[in-house]
Parts: sequence; C-alpha cells; structure tokens
Amino acid sequence: MSNDLVIKDLCANIGDNEILKGVNLTIRGGTIHAIMGPNGSGKSTLAHVIAGHPDYEVTAGEIWYGGQNILELEADERSKLGLFLAFQYPVAVPGVTVANFLRAAINAHRAEEGKDPKETAIPMAEFRKMLREGMKTLEMDEGFARRYLNEGFSGGEKKRLEILQMTMLKPGMVVMDETDSGLDIDALRIVAEGVNRLAGPELGALVITHYQRLLNYIKPNFVSVMMDGRIVRDGGPELALELEEKGYDWLREELAGAA
Amino acid sequence: MKQSITLKDLTADLIVEQAHAAHEPGWLAERRHEAWTFFAQSGPPEWRRTDLSGLAPDALTLSGAVGTELIWDAALAEQGVVFKPLREALNSHEELIKAHMDSAVAPLDHKFSALRAALWADGALLYVPKNVAADTPIHVRYTLPADHHMIMPRTLVIVEANASATIIEEFISADRSEQALAAPITELIAGPNSTVRFISVQQWGDGVYHIGGQKAVLGNNASLEWTSLALGAKVQHIEAETTLKGNGSRVNWLGATFANGSQVLVTAPWLRHIGHNAESFMQFKTVVNDTAYSVFDGMIKIEHESTATSTRLEEHALHLKPGARNDSIPGLKIDTNSVLKGGHASTSGDVDDEQLFYMQTRGLSKNEARRMIVMGFFSPALDTIPVEALRHQLEAVIEAKI
Repeated sequence: MSNDLVIKDLCANIGDNEILKGVNLTIRGGTIHAIMGPNGSGKSTLAHVIAGHPDYEVTAGEIWYGGQNILELEADERSKLGLFLAFQYPVAVPGVTVANFLRAAINAHRAEEGKDPKETAIPMAEFRKMLREGMKTLEMDEGFARRYLNEGFSGGEKKRLEILQMTMLKPGMVVMDETDSGLDIDALRIVAEGVNRLAGPELGALVITHYQRLLNYIKPNFVSVMMDGRIVRDGGPELALELEEKGYDWLREELAGAA
Repeated sequence: MKQSITLKDLTADLIVEQAHAAHEPGWLAERRHEAWTFFAQSGPPEWRRTDLSGLAPDALTLSGAVGTELIWDAALAEQGVVFKPLREALNSHEELIKAHMDSAVAPLDHKFSALRAALWADGALLYVPKNVAADTPIHVRYTLPADHHMIMPRTLVIVEANASATIIEEFISADRSEQALAAPITELIAGPNSTVRFISVQQWGDGVYHIGGQKAVLGNNASLEWTSLALGAKVQHIEAETTLKGNGSRVNWLGATFANGSQVLVTAPWLRHIGHNAESFMQFKTVVNDTAYSVFDGMIKIEHESTATSTRLEEHALHLKPGARNDSIPGLKIDTNSVLKGGHASTSGDVDDEQLFYMQTRGLSKNEARRMIVMGFFSPALDTIPVEALRHQLEAVIEAKI
C-alpha cells in the first residue's frame, strides 16, 4: 500500500487561479496509470503539485506516498522517498555537466543522516559503469555526459536524459508529464523502451499525455480522464482508444448531460 | 628600502636617493621621481563606486620585500625563457625592461597609478623569446607580509613573435584584521603571432585594499586568452585593458567575480581596438551575496584607425541575497565607420527558481542545487585554469562564499 500514490480531494491554485478542484486518484505501485485530458485540464499542474513545485498553493486535500502525506515535504525530500517527475520541459543548467549532476543526485539519495557523505557516496568506478550502461541502452553518445545539463539539447535528447536520470535514481513512482511532446517516432520508441525496461512490480507510473500515441508504446493498466481540474472518468486501456477515436467532446457532453 | 617607511616619510629626492642606493639604473630613478611628483601633486581619483574612505595609506608601512614566489618548470630556461624577480632582472635584462616597462599601463594616469610607478619594490619578469613554446604554466604568486603594510609588485610579461606561454598571476594572503594595501601593475606584451594564456587571480584575505592596473597589448595576429578571477579583498578597484593593436589580433576574455560579506569589488575591463580585422570577446560573470557590492564597468573602445572589428562584451550577474548589489555599466565607444560586428549584453537576476526546482526533484537540497548552479555559472572561467591544485583551491574558496 505504501507504494501507492494516493491523491485525495486535492485542490491547488496558482496565483488566484484555482486549477485543481478536488482530484481523487490512486496510482497502484507496480502499475502504469495514464491520465489523459484536453489542454488546460490541470494535468501538468497535478504533476508539479505531486513533485512539490513551490509556485502552486495546495488549498485542500492530501497526497500520500511511502506511508506519509508528502505535502509538507520539499521537492528533494519527495525525490528521496522515491518519487520522480519526468519533465515536459526539462530545465537547462549551464556549466553543470550531466555527469556531475547525476553523481550529485545519486549521492543525495545515498546520503544518510549522521554519516559522512564521503562514506555513502557512490564509488567513482561504479558510477561511471552505471552511467555508461544507462547511456548505451538509451542510445546516447558517450560525449553526452560531459555536456551541460539540457543546454542546447534537442527535444529527443532532453527526454532521453529524463529517462536516464530515472534509470539511475531507481524511483518507486514516476510521474511522466507529456513525455511524448516534441518527440519524433524514433525518440519516442527509445524513451518508451527505457520506461518499459524499468516497469514491473518495483515501479509505478503516472503517465500524463494528451494523445493516445504514447500509449501504443507504454501500455497502461489503467486510464483516467481529467477535465477542468477533476478526474471525470476511470477505465482500462480501452478508454484511451475510445478517446483517440472520438476526441474529448463527447465525454464533455455526456458529463454535462449527467449534471 | 629601509624598513618602516610610510608615505609621510617620503620625498622625491629621497626616492631617487634610495633608487641609487639600490643600484637601480638612472632612467628608473628618473621615472620614479616623475611619478612621485605627479602623485604628490594630484588629488584622489574620482571613483564614484569605489569606496576608499576607509583607506588610510599614510599609516601603512611600505614593504621593501614583497613576498614573491615564482613557480615554474625551470627546464624552460634551456629554451631561453627568462622568469625571475624583476629587481634581479634589472641587472641582466635592463634594456628589455626599459623598452617595455610603462609601455602598457600609463604611470601618470591618476594618483594611484603614479604611486605604484614611484614605489614598486619588486615583481617578476617573464620573457619568452621568439619561436619558443613554453608549454607548462608559469606562475607568479604575490603575498602580503603583514597588517598595515602596502605592497606594489609589478609583473612584466614579454612574449615575442611566434612564441607561446601560459602565465598565472596570483595575489593571495590570509585575512588581515587591520588594513593593508596592494597596488600592483601588470603589463603583458604579446608579439606578432604569439599565443598567450593569462590567468589573474585576486584572492586576498579580508581587510586588503587592492588597486591594480593590468594591460595586455597584442601585436599582429597575436592571440590572448585572459581569465580574470576576483574573489578576495575588502575593496578592489582593477582597471584592465586589452589593446588590440595588431591587425588580426584576438582576445577571448572571461571574468569571474564573487563578492560576499561587505566586499566592494570593482572591475573596469576595456577592450581597445586599434588594428584591422581584430576580434574580441569578453564575458564577465558576477555573483554577489550578503550585502556585497560589485561593479562591472566594461567598455569597448574602437579607435578611428581600426577597420573590420568584431567585438562583443557581456556581463551576467547572479544575486544570492536581496541586500547584495551589482552595477553593470557596459559601454561602447566607436570612433570609426568600419565595424564588422559590435554588441554588448548584460543580464542580472536571482538564481533561477525553475533550475532550483528541477534539481531538487532529483534529490538535491536547495543549498546543494544553488551551490551547483553558482559553480556552473563560473565553470567557463574556472575550466581555463591549467593547474588542477589551484583550480580545486579556488573552487573551495568559491563554495565557501555561497
């Protein structure tokens, strides 16, 4: 149960705008759960609130993961609990190399209170091996590790780097925010394969996407639909196909009719 | 010079007398006399942003002996490279020194430039003869002997035609509980087709006033990579210039300034274009923390005789605390109609929240993320330092200031 990500009655604002209006959602550990929805429905906000972005104000509700309500935790503490956000728009950090950043991130995860960080740090040889193998499976050039974080990266390179980070940090629950945006088919395949390699009982995934396309590559166990800041429909993979075929308007009309 | 001399004890005649007593050449005694006379007659410089109100030079003792360390691979001497204390070099290379000393940094520019020219006591000469590639770093390190002292070291670098060299000039001391003054002069003459890397590092301890003049003059097709690091001192005022005198000369100039506590670090780097088809790029990075104040007073000056200049000047500043300030005053003065490319840019702001959030989502604490962002900000400059031990030491100094 503690591997589940449980979101209860979550309301969140940015500035004066209420974006999330009572989200209820449970992502079971070890399953892939897709969230689909039209633009502006609050999907990316949900991803950012789960990860702990300071610009969003949570006005009500809870998010449980790893046996605790994580809303009071800083973003880095959430990461260390095993949550990982794959960004739609990964941020460039000039002057910080991919290798140095990854090593610092891994060491932050390995750090233990009361212990010298030098003692818990990953040995250099082990890190290099892990990095090399991770890059190889994602078909990344070796020179990649020496480049500055996301600076001048193509869309595909950025998303591959997100998956590489995920691979190396071994989270228990990932939130993938429109990972398919800006990717051509080849890059999409590589990214999806990267996720599928990690998928299994140890990894839960919340896959946010506007299009069904990604779900041809990453097969979800569950699909939920988000509209206007709420989850409005839950189903299985067939729901994604139905949305692909019919768009979102029928669902909107159906909901309006029911109300 | 005798011990325990202060400015109040000095006269032009006494300075000449001491120069003779030290067996200095007559031309040097004359230059000292002229500079002292200028110093004695001129008022304090009008530097609006450099707060010298706390400086009381009259109370400081002139250090005859500058702590000067010359660190290099002496095997370079076999190729004809000369690297020795300037006073000693006056005996062996007087004509060379006479020809180049004061040719770059004007001695009679203001009160402090005159003071330096009148009273410099020691320094270093680096001479790389033509066609010689000095391929290991040549490092001069100046230290301050004690509180209440003033030192005026000068570095003279002459790299002849088709020669190459890497020079590190470093100023370092422990913190000084009382004030001290360092007023150095650095002159770098790069001959035709020469390739020079110059790294200047100011990491004085707290309490030190640093009033420095640095100038590099480039010959035809000479190429200079200059890195300026300013980390220490209580108050720094550095006037620096690269004069692109030769046709086809190039400079790539990177700066890194980090002011914290109540430091005031002022840098006025100039690019002066005289030759044709010359290219210059300057990028200074500044980080200010606590209540520190830094000033970037950068200037591109394109003289009327130059043609087809390409130049760009940038300054980027990061503020770590709301009380920290940085003034960026980039300027462009063009006296010719023939400029190929010219531009300047400056940016200033807090550490980017989106960068912090991104890094935090990977498990880094906010402080650790901030540390990496600042180190990354400086990495283009730090990466040019060819001596690993120095680079690591500077990284540690920077980390301690974050």
